[in-house]
Amino acid sequence: MTMKSLLGTASLALVIAGFAAGAQAQIAIGHLADYSGGTSDVGTPYGQGVADTFAWVNKHGGVGGKQLAVDTNDYGYQVPRAIALYKKWSGGDKVAAIMGWGTADTEALTGFLANDKIPDMSGSYAAALTDPEGSSGKAKAAPYNFFYGPSYSDALRAELTWAAEDWKAKGKSGKPKFVHMGANHPYPNAPKAAGEAMAKELGFEVLPPLVFALAPGDYSAQCLSLKSAGANYAYLGNTAASNISVMKVCKTAGVDVQFMSNVWGMDENAAKTAGDAADGVIFPLRTAVGWGGDAPGMKTVQEISKISDPTGTVYRPVHYIAGVCSALYMKEALEWAAANGGATGENVAKGFYQKKDWVPAGMEGVCNPSTWTDKDHRGTLKVDLYRSRVSGPTDGDLNDLIKKGTVKLEKVKTIDLPRKAEWAGW
Amino acid sequence: MATPSIIPAGDFRTSYAADTTIFPTPMSRNAALAGIVLVCFAPLLLSEYWLSILIQIGIYGIAALGLNILVGFTGQISIGHAAFFLLGAFTSAYISNTLPIPVFFAIPLAGLLTALIGLVFGLPAARLKGLYLVIATLAAQYILLDFFSRAEWFSGGSVPAMAQPFSLFGYVLRGDRQYFYVVLAYVLASYLLVTNLMRTRDGRALVAVRDHYLSAEIMGINLTKYRTLSFGLAAFFAGIAGALYAHYQLVVSNEGFGIERSIIFLAMVIIGGTGSIMGTLMGTAFVVLLPESMEWLSAGLKGSAIDRALSLNNNLTFLREIAIGVIIILFLIFEPDGLAHRWRQIKTYWKLYPFSH
Repeated sequence: MTMKSLLGTASLALVIAGFAAGAQAQIAIGHLADYSGGTSDVGTPYGQGVADTFAWVNKHGGVGGKQLAVDTNDYGYQVPRAIALYKKWSGGDKVAAIMGWGTADTEALTGFLANDKIPDMSGSYAAALTDPEGSSGKAKAAPYNFFYGPSYSDALRAELTWAAEDWKAKGKSGKPKFVHMGANHPYPNAPKAAGEAMAKELGFEVLPPLVFALAPGDYSAQCLSLKSAGANYAYLGNTAASNISVMKVCKTAGVDVQFMSNVWGMDENAAKTAGDAADGVIFPLRTAVGWGGDAPGMKTVQEISKISDPTGTVYRPVHYIAGVCSALYMKEALEWAAANGGATGENVAKGFYQKKDWVPAGMEGVCNPSTWTDKDHRGTLKVDLYRSRVSGPTDGDLNDLIKKGTVKLEKVKTIDLPRKAEWAGW
Repeated sequence: MATPSIIPAGDFRTSYAADTTIFPTPMSRNAALAGIVLVCFAPLLLSEYWLSILIQIGIYGIAALGLNILVGFTGQISIGHAAFFLLGAFTSAYISNTLPIPVFFAIPLAGLLTALIGLVFGLPAARLKGLYLVIATLAAQYILLDFFSRAEWFSGGSVPAMAQPFSLFGYVLRGDRQYFYVVLAYVLASYLLVTNLMRTRDGRALVAVRDHYLSAEIMGINLTKYRTLSFGLAAFFAGIAGALYAHYQLVVSNEGFGIERSIIFLAMVIIGGTGSIMGTLMGTAFVVLLPESMEWLSAGLKGSAIDRALSLNNNLTFLREIAIGVIIILFLIFEPDGLAHRWRQIKTYWKLYPFSH
């Protein structure tokens, strides 16, 4: 080894050491995003929302004077990769919190999170994550799992409540038929049992579930089954891209069914892509308004959006705004922790319990008030049901389509579910 | 394949035992032993990140070794190897969760059970060759994966199964630093086992089947037996590796073990060198490090003009897959004998340096 390369190595080591020293004055956060996997259609705007929000927080002084070191990783919706990343985040330099994503990986991590005391604000709203003590007997204890919005099961319960009323309002007789559709995957399966039980309770006839993959494809067979079984209300448990495939084919096949989708199953982009096939789909909206909506908090969202879009012209779908809300709840929990003994995972989790009907500062009128307690992680039981309206061709820029009203999200009903103990955890 | 000999002139063997020795020179034996001792210190010296990479190399290296018995030594082909890997993982998790059997014994048991299933799926190999066999093994991949996604009693269905941490007589190993030694022990045992297998009558029969199955049959080798056996052996090592993986991750999910993973196992064998035991480990290391190096590359280019033009960060996942595909093509064209061959050439070069002619 020559003197020069020796010097080079030494200076490189110094630089690395310098980075490591700099990293100590920060709060580390792990961020799992799906930009390339089965749910990338909705994972991309959500992940971008989370990443932009933390960058915006850093720009405005960070949390408790410390910058957030956010490690954003595209894990392609694959459990093994999420586990590998988690090992990195829970080893040596432990992160203070994780912004998670999918149901399969979040449920797989639940036990580890509890052991390592790392809170995880996931993009999965599986009801199994809402039971911090496991007292419901329906799910394992998940004391460090949080998410913003109604759980998948509660959203489906609300949709079914609406459907039963809709059936009566339309003056139809007989039992309405309900079918659960989605991939054989923890995420679409999460609300299956709860939905089918609720449907039976409300007087639906429950048809055998139909399976379609978490990717766009040809789902003619599923549509024909829907038609021949005479289903009236179908729940789409997948994300937007594959749901669109189903809606399009069913439209072509002339299936007369009311689709109700999961919270990740519909957004403005999907409505634009699906065109008139998306007209009339019922879905829950987690935020009080959509992009450009009339609310004091929308200004903050637009400012955050400028982090990755300085021109301010990009239309942000509902998932982006949900990402912003989730990240800001995490930010305020971190803030509480930093002020009350330091930003450790344990304190951050306590930070979530500090407020009732909590709306992050600057997000008034956008994020819905949420309350987490150490006994119940169902942040909200209020479900705002919307209907997507598509009138006319959907070519062109989404901003214009929304402005013209070609693509519209129309409020149908707000359903306040009771906080029943027997609905916890499933 | 012309193997350049590194044994100096005048050094000849007078017995079969000497001819089949694992280490041809005392130097190579000492180097190997020193290497093992050095690797034993890895958990004390390396960061968690590098340790996890070494563990991955070890685990996948065992699975790839199994596939090399099948592809490299017996001349068969399988694109269902990932399914057997996963079968081993689920089996070991299932055994250690439901039966009063500690993980220590669950891992070899999972290997044996996977081998049994491998024998069953290997039966078509007795009759099929080439493309037809490829399709038969593809069917094995799909049948097993479908089974995992439905058999809730066994694999938890679509929900990932939990696996216990490795325990030895009540002492639980936690963390990469401790688990590393478990993997190391299995890697050493597996590689020694296969090296020795290839020196036995059965090992030579496998090679004979590969080189010319008709001649082998005329010489009295039972083709059906050895072809099926090689599937069983491949599945055994896949099962062991899968079980090690299960108790390393502590979670087993049937995601990420589709046909693309089977192809990656094949890539490890091809890149390392078909029919080379040490090459398998080199190929595995190469394939494990390749996606990581793409990550370093994209981190290094972050913010630069190239990054903005290609938006590397968002496309990293695709970049990894593309890189593996490109490397396989390059190896097939320029280095069909794999890294093992290149390694031998490097050794020869230095052995004879500076008088290489």
